Amino acid sequence: MTLLEVQKLEVVYHRSISAVQGISLAIQPAQIVALLGTNGAGKTTTLRAISGFLGLDDARVSEGAILFKGEHIENELPHRNTARGIVLVPERDKVFPNLTVSENLIAPVPHGVGAGEQRRRETLVYRFFPQLRDLRHRIGGLLSGGERQMLALAGAIMCAPELLLVDELSLGLAPVVVSALLQRLREIRRELGLTILMVEQSAPVALEIADYAYVMENGRIVLDGTAERLRSHPDIQEFYLGRESGERRSYREVKQYRRRRRWYG
Amino acid sequence: MSSPPRASGYFRTDYADDYALLATRGARIWVALLVLALLAFPLIASPFQLDIACQVFLAGVGSLSLMLLTGYAGQISLGHAGLIAAGAFTVGILFRETNASFWITLPMAALVGALLGVIFGLPSLRLRGLYLAVSTLALHFVVIYIGGEYETRRGFSTGIMIDPPRVGSLEITDGRAWYFILLVAAASTLLICLNLLRTRSGRAWRAIRAHETVAETLGIGIAAYKLLAFVISSSITAVAGALFAYYRGFVSVEAFSLFLTIQYVAMVIVGGMGSLLGALLGAAFVTIFPYVIEGALLALPGAQGFASLLFAVNYAAFGVVMIFFLLLEPLGLVGMWHRIQNYFRLWPYKHRPAAGAHQ
Amino acid sequence: MSELGGQDADASPLTSDLWHLSSESVQLVVNIIVLAAIYALLACGYVLIYRVSRVMNMAHGELSMLGAYLLFATATLLAHHPIAALIVAVLMSIAVGVLVYVVLMRRMTGEMVLAAILTTIAIGILLRGVIVLVWSASEQHPLQALGFTNPSLPVFGGARISTCAALIVVMTALVYGSLFAFLRFGRWGVRMRAAGQNPLLAAQRGINLHAIYALAWSLSTLTGSIAGMLIALDSGLDQSMVVIGLKAFAPALVGGLDSLLGALCGALIVGSSEVLAIHYVDPLLSDVVPFVVLIAMLTVRPWGLFGTREELDRV
Repeated sequence: MTLLEVQKLEVVYHRSISAVQGISLAIQPAQIVALLGTNGAGKTTTLRAISGFLGLDDARVSEGAILFKGEHIENELPHRNTARGIVLVPERDKVFPNLTVSENLIAPVPHGVGAGEQRRRETLVYRFFPQLRDLRHRIGGLLSGGERQMLALAGAIMCAPELLLVDELSLGLAPVVVSALLQRLREIRRELGLTILMVEQSAPVALEIADYAYVMENGRIVLDGTAERLRSHPDIQEFYLGRESGERRSYREVKQYRRRRRWYG
Repeated sequence: MSSPPRASGYFRTDYADDYALLATRGARIWVALLVLALLAFPLIASPFQLDIACQVFLAGVGSLSLMLLTGYAGQISLGHAGLIAAGAFTVGILFRETNASFWITLPMAALVGALLGVIFGLPSLRLRGLYLAVSTLALHFVVIYIGGEYETRRGFSTGIMIDPPRVGSLEITDGRAWYFILLVAAASTLLICLNLLRTRSGRAWRAIRAHETVAETLGIGIAAYKLLAFVISSSITAVAGALFAYYRGFVSVEAFSLFLTIQYVAMVIVGGMGSLLGALLGAAFVTIFPYVIEGALLALPGAQGFASLLFAVNYAAFGVVMIFFLLLEPLGLVGMWHRIQNYFRLWPYKHRPAAGAHQ
Repeated sequence: MSELGGQDADASPLTSDLWHLSSESVQLVVNIIVLAAIYALLACGYVLIYRVSRVMNMAHGELSMLGAYLLFATATLLAHHPIAALIVAVLMSIAVGVLVYVVLMRRMTGEMVLAAILTTIAIGILLRGVIVLVWSASEQHPLQALGFTNPSLPVFGGARISTCAALIVVMTALVYGSLFAFLRFGRWGVRMRAAGQNPLLAAQRGINLHAIYALAWSLSTLTGSIAGMLIALDSGLDQSMVVIGLKAFAPALVGGLDSLLGALCGALIVGSSEVLAIHYVDPLLSDVVPFVVLIAMLTVRPWGLFGTREELDRV
């Protein structure tokens, strides 16, 4: 059974700016799916549409459907989707800056579990991220980038998610830190049976861990396939993995490129 | 703040065109008509209507200065009534103690305003937003206290009476004379503000309001420009207070309550933040509003009983209107006006197309 | 506002030999405690809402006043059932808090906080007008309406305190005790702070923002109304209560707008400054002293004694 299905989704900001223009995707349980694309492609908006908008920027799903385990969840409030098991790790503002690390882990409200289970989860989280235990009394805003990302992931896990949405895991982090995080993410997925949908600007990072990937551009999906297929796809290699094909192309062409012949082949 | 789309065929050919205030012929015609109407008004208006017009002009001076400070420079100030009081009390004190004429008291009021502006502005160097607002509020209470102390110590517990200003041997008491004086005052304030905003200071203020840290990295001296905003705004406000003192002939600390500050803030909100036109529209709206309420009360059958509690009805209605604007029309009257304009300009489209949307 | 607690001139001019204090000083201490209790009870209302939503509820004074007027209304309607009157009034004030949130403030979620603060100011003005329209501007006496009396009780050292003032002190202690227990030692205290710091993330972590905001507003109106009711019982009810509500935000800020402990300490500081200034310098200073203390604190330490030291530009 498909865990998450997005059907012809359209998202509009301020009633006039169309950020996502009709995308469809499907995620199976225990998969890791990546959403690739350059800036402004609409990836973060898609994640936020799945997680739920809070009315900021007057954003809403204007067309299409998002189905989680068969249930419609478009235009829901975030805390309701979290209760269903969909948890987002945002790109910015991902921790509570004036709470300590341990308070950051107390704050989340896990769905359908009691206090005892919550304590068990805390131990679990500290096992996944031992560095956090040493930083327990450090204020969230004072953590380094890598520590903050760990805390953000830990906070998300405290909500007992079934579907984890991760926005730009690798942004601003050193490659070493990113590999460590990816490794941790694999362990977590294996142990908790999580499904992960991750947005990534760094295609190498994404294709390393993902099973399946979608490529977005200007609010539309232009290509999708298994990670292997994409890794060997010439266009992906050229535009996202940086392997030159010999011809010089301008940035503009990279961003808005007419791939009609090759994408839809 | 976007400028409205202009009809095709409008282009500038020299620098004078570039900084002309009235750019198109249409604008010039409208303004000319407005000036004519304003000049003709006293000839047909009753004394009551003249009084309202004078009040609107007075309020306009105050609201323009607040718009400068809050709407453009982004410094939230809840101390406006204190500054008006300072100007009024300067006039009152100077008149009572030294019998000075308005040639002296008005500039002194401006000076006092400027000095207070420095004091009110100092917190802005460390505080922003809510904390800045609170500090200006606290300073307002201090100013009011000082005024009250003066009144009690010098025995003016019911207020200070002031003679009308004299030019030569002429006493200015006529409603029409005041109308023109205050019209000139409001117009000059408008021109001062318009020009200030077109200069480096104006651009600096807009930058500070938009994003202070970025403005600083661009080399804009934040502290200096913030203080400048406070000083200029407070100075103008104090002059408004001085004019108010002369117009009413009477100064008393009770007239400068927190509600007065809130009325000015309402003028800025109702008019529309970041727009001088908004300041004037808001001033007119808030000044005329109580009279409309009073008229409505007297016209409604059965509501006569409430007439004795007019101030309470005013408060309630005022609160409702403010809430309406804050909840539903945060861009104020100017926002409404722009929306109406855009509706007609863009029809049958609903929105401007977003830049670079489709490929 | 009349002086709370009274001094009985016929009492023996002493003391507590133990402390070698004159009865005048003891009375001063009693007055300070009472005023600090009032400020603390009112200030915690500001703190609760700020902590959870970063909004400064400028209508707190008016809402507290509304609570007092509601008590007057129920007291006159249920003239022979004072306890019932009290309970109904308390329930109504909680309802008012929730109502204000649900009908008005909820729409402001996600808007600029400045707009939210201005909305609270507008609500305050609206309430002032409505209260006078419904109950008239003359002074009311809910105490008489309830049929209670307010005798002056002796405290040690020759000082006196009125019953209602003593009640205020007791209620403040109770309220603070419960709030501390609820917030410090409960997860919901952390969640309230989290909602204040990063509402979107809080929602994404399963915290029901609207429920938390409504809770904060109802608690705030409840404590404010209790304060308003007790003040009205002690010294009569009229529009001047708004002034006390306004003055009370100074202690809240002095202590740190998101700290309950701070509100308590701020109340003590401001209360003592005010009482001492009135006694030793000039009675007219009473309306200005809180703001002078506030200005002093803002100059030295803008985030207050125990407030979270955040970037202060985040309105």
